[in-house]
Amino acid sequence: MGRISIARKNLFQDRRRATLSIAGVSAALVLILVLDGIFAGAMQQVTAYIRSSPADVFVAQRDVTTMHMTTSALAPSLVDEVRAIDGVDWADGLHYTTSSVDVGNNSLLTYVLGYDTATGRGGPRNLASGQPPTDGQALVDSVAAGELGVDIGDKVNILGYPFVISGLSTDGTYIANTTVFITSDDFAALRGPTYAYILVGAQVGMSPEDLQQRLAIAMPDTTVMTRTEFAKQEANVVRTMAADVMAIMSVIGFLIALALVGLTLFTATVAKQREYGIIKAIGAGRGRLTIIVLAQATWTIILALALAIILTSLIGVAIDALTPNLIVVIELGSIARTTISAFVVGAISSVLPLRRISRIDPSTSFRMA
Amino acid sequence: MHSHVPLARRNMLADPRRLIAGAVTVGLAIMLILLLDGLWTGIKRSVTAYEDHVGADLYVAQSGTRNFFGAVSQIPRSTVDVIRLESGVNWASPVRTFLAIISLHDQKVPASIIGWEPGEHGGPWEISQGRAPESDNEIAIGRVMADRHRLRIGDSLDVMGQTFQIVGTSSDTFMLSFVFMTHAATDSILDSKNTTSFVLVGTDRADQVRTQLESGGLTVRNRDELATQDLAVMTRAYKIPMGVMRGVAFAIGILVIALCVYTAIMDRSREYGIIKAMGATRRDLVSLALRQTFIVASAGFIAGSMLFTVGRAVISSIRPQFSVVLTTDTVTRAIIAAVLMALVAAALPANRLARIEPATAYRGG
Repeated sequence: MGRISIARKNLFQDRRRATLSIAGVSAALVLILVLDGIFAGAMQQVTAYIRSSPADVFVAQRDVTTMHMTTSALAPSLVDEVRAIDGVDWADGLHYTTSSVDVGNNSLLTYVLGYDTATGRGGPRNLASGQPPTDGQALVDSVAAGELGVDIGDKVNILGYPFVISGLSTDGTYIANTTVFITSDDFAALRGPTYAYILVGAQVGMSPEDLQQRLAIAMPDTTVMTRTEFAKQEANVVRTMAADVMAIMSVIGFLIALALVGLTLFTATVAKQREYGIIKAIGAGRGRLTIIVLAQATWTIILALALAIILTSLIGVAIDALTPNLIVVIELGSIARTTISAFVVGAISSVLPLRRISRIDPSTSFRMA
Repeated sequence: MHSHVPLARRNMLADPRRLIAGAVTVGLAIMLILLLDGLWTGIKRSVTAYEDHVGADLYVAQSGTRNFFGAVSQIPRSTVDVIRLESGVNWASPVRTFLAIISLHDQKVPASIIGWEPGEHGGPWEISQGRAPESDNEIAIGRVMADRHRLRIGDSLDVMGQTFQIVGTSSDTFMLSFVFMTHAATDSILDSKNTTSFVLVGTDRADQVRTQLESGGLTVRNRDELATQDLAVMTRAYKIPMGVMRGVAFAIGILVIALCVYTAIMDRSREYGIIKAMGATRRDLVSLALRQTFIVASAGFIAGSMLFTVGRAVISSIRPQFSVVLTTDTVTRAIIAAVLMALVAAALPANRLARIEPATAYRGG
């Protein structure tokens, strides 16, 4: 005798209703996946400069462990002190501040990095076009340049002074701000000679961790971190600041999914009361009925999840096209978390329909409509 | 005799549990829209908290400075003396401001450091507990920071390598707390004596004084200009994510209303067949669908308002740094959203109603 998938047939008998239900649950999951994706994208962007730096170790003012929302001040003479430490291959000072890059009335918040263009170690890893800056020139991120409507050869105001764009860099713009690069001399002329960080490269055979320890002992009034640790600390700040908003939105998203799956299952159960009565009359026990309801929940969740992933990807493409400073990154971890949470939601939302079914009188099946 | 049978109402109320479930789900979507709007209004108000309370008419800053929140500006300290000599200036006070990350309980806590001269303008405008700092090793921190990290008056706090004693609690701004200290303390932290970030100016003749100062080569902003730029930064960061979430919430509302009404119609397809057989026109049926979607949308709006009240109370109690502000505009937008949801959601049920065969009325059960 063949098996009949009652759950699937029950759920999809009315395709329009099934579509509405699955689309609704999917929208709730999209809420969570898109948020996760925006957050993951921001995390990638915010740590891009640090992760791509050739420096093995970063030296900062004491207790400074980040770049984002940070002020750090180091005496220029410290660079020579660092160079003299055994195990150090090279050391470059990096100027850094937060300002705006302005063109007419358009203004973008920006990190301003002043670096030694002779070595280039503090500059961007990639140039989309043009050349590194000389005095009076600046590198502007290509996304920011697009937003400001400027290109190589145009003038922008940085730190209140005009600079000519010598080149366009990449991976320097994210949700909140962009990054511009000027020469170390220009930065010092405008904001003083103090460095914010010292970038340090290790000699061959010296691990970043060993160099970090050596520098930390030699310079106890500073904070010394490996590149990996520095990137991690930077990510932690952004994660901490965004965590609460993410949590609030995620909870709301899952509550909506819970209510929708519950509504779907309840509606499907009520619509098929007589059929459930028949199934009970021919001997289906509690366990069998539970499986039917849970199977409906599972079908709803699986299809909603698949649709949510597709929709999130499409929304990500749309966001990228509309606002290049924002990227949506769908991570496997996010999908896994959302999947597990969605199934938990599906299980919880099955409770009410199960109670309803358990109270159905098998004699219902014999009543006239 | 001409009497009406409230079909729409009776149909939707025939299964109150389904209506309640639908209303709750739509309500969650409306709640999300209200919360997002309320959060955004709260963000706009708290981002400009300093400029709104400190009482300065003009702000003198380094060339190129356009905002206050997170600005890095540095001008000679002597600029204060120059400004005080200008006619029309009632008072001028130096204020240093910068953002810092404070390590607390293995967490990175962002803070807005404000260094001012005790006794002058620019310091804390309210003290919830304790007092304002008076010496260079004292600080007043935001209430939210103190509560969240269980910091009390008398505790020590390290800020960028220097240890301070907490003597009072004060105000917070968007997503971070103010930490007030003396100007000299900030000089020491940044190893930058004889400089400051802004000179706050009080005057009864703002335009005239501004012209005077600018003719002397100074960069001058007023509160509105700074606030506009601060908001522009926030808008750029949060506009798209919030817009996406609003859009998704709106879509959820439409889908749930459509699902509720569609299901209700399908459950009563025989009755609607009878109505059609009795001569109901397409217009009557579309009107019927619309009334039902408006019933669900209205119930959803009421549920959403109640859920919003609860949600706001929960958020305020566990995360007081998020201010959720309800305004007339917020409510108006939510009402418009609910009406639009109902209108769009009516399409599928109306279409289904229009296609019901009158012969359905004569089919056996």
